[in-house]
Amino acid sequence: MRNPVIHRSRRAGFNMTPMIDVVFLLIIFFLVSSHLARQELRLELPLPVAQSGEDDPAVPAPRVTINVDAEGNVTVGGRAVAMHEIGEQLVTARRELGDTMEVRIRGSRLTEYGAVEPVMLACTRAGIWNVSYAVWRQEH
Amino acid sequence: MVRIPSRDAESDGDIDSTMTPMIDVVFLLLIFFVWTAGTQIVEYMLPGQLSAETGNLPANLDNPPPEQDFDKVVIRLRWDGGLPDWSVNDQPLETIEEVATMLQSLAGIKPDAPLVIHPDSPVPLGYVIELFDESRLAGFSKVSFAVNQE
Repeated sequence: MRNPVIHRSRRAGFNMTPMIDVVFLLIIFFLVSSHLARQELRLELPLPVAQSGEDDPAVPAPRVTINVDAEGNVTVGGRAVAMHEIGEQLVTARRELGDTMEVRIRGSRLTEYGAVEPVMLACTRAGIWNVSYAVWRQEH
Repeated sequence: MVRIPSRDAESDGDIDSTMTPMIDVVFLLLIFFVWTAGTQIVEYMLPGQLSAETGNLPANLDNPPPEQDFDKVVIRLRWDGGLPDWSVNDQPLETIEEVATMLQSLAGIKPDAPLVIHPDSPVPLGYVIELFDESRLAGFSKVSFAVNQE
């Protein structure tokens, strides 16, 4: 049986293969890391169900998402925040993002209204009127 | 006898064979993203406008949403022994369907009347949003929440 003979190209060609490998690895790295980063912001919560839920606007306003879990713990940007800190954070956010900013409250349907009340109050105190609630259109 | 094909860098067959892993990887990526997009639950939003006469920043009170004080519809949502208990303008109602019917008839008379949802603190948010949803479906355009100022 003959061994395979590898003929080397006589031209001093540029080998593209390692470059393509590296580029693909980079693409995979960034796609996966951005995916994980998004997952971190999207805390899994059983959201309230509302049939009149709307799609996000085509040009979304700058937004701060506030998650409130069933126990009433508040997280902003994947970080646990004490209730008294929210007001300061919202004032800072409004200064940075402008008056058109929106606050999206992602509250678990099991959380008490009393845990969401201070968040709404903090929004009004920070001068943010544009508040929306994340919902599902049907039970999941 | 099986002939092992020779690998000639200049032949067309070689370009095909170097493309294969790349196509494999691209397909894997496609499958990965189609799969992750498919398992993600789509979220929607309920837009709400807050309005309040409170606030400790003077600059923020320049343009609060205008409030008109006429014929308000106030829905009280109480939490009574683990069950919700509704009343629309002090008229007690048993089920959310009754509330929806009442809201539809009120919206038929005056859809631009301000509607205030006033839930007790221990009411689960799911019931509050359900009420908000019914108010929107009935056609009320000015829905607000009562908040305890503590």
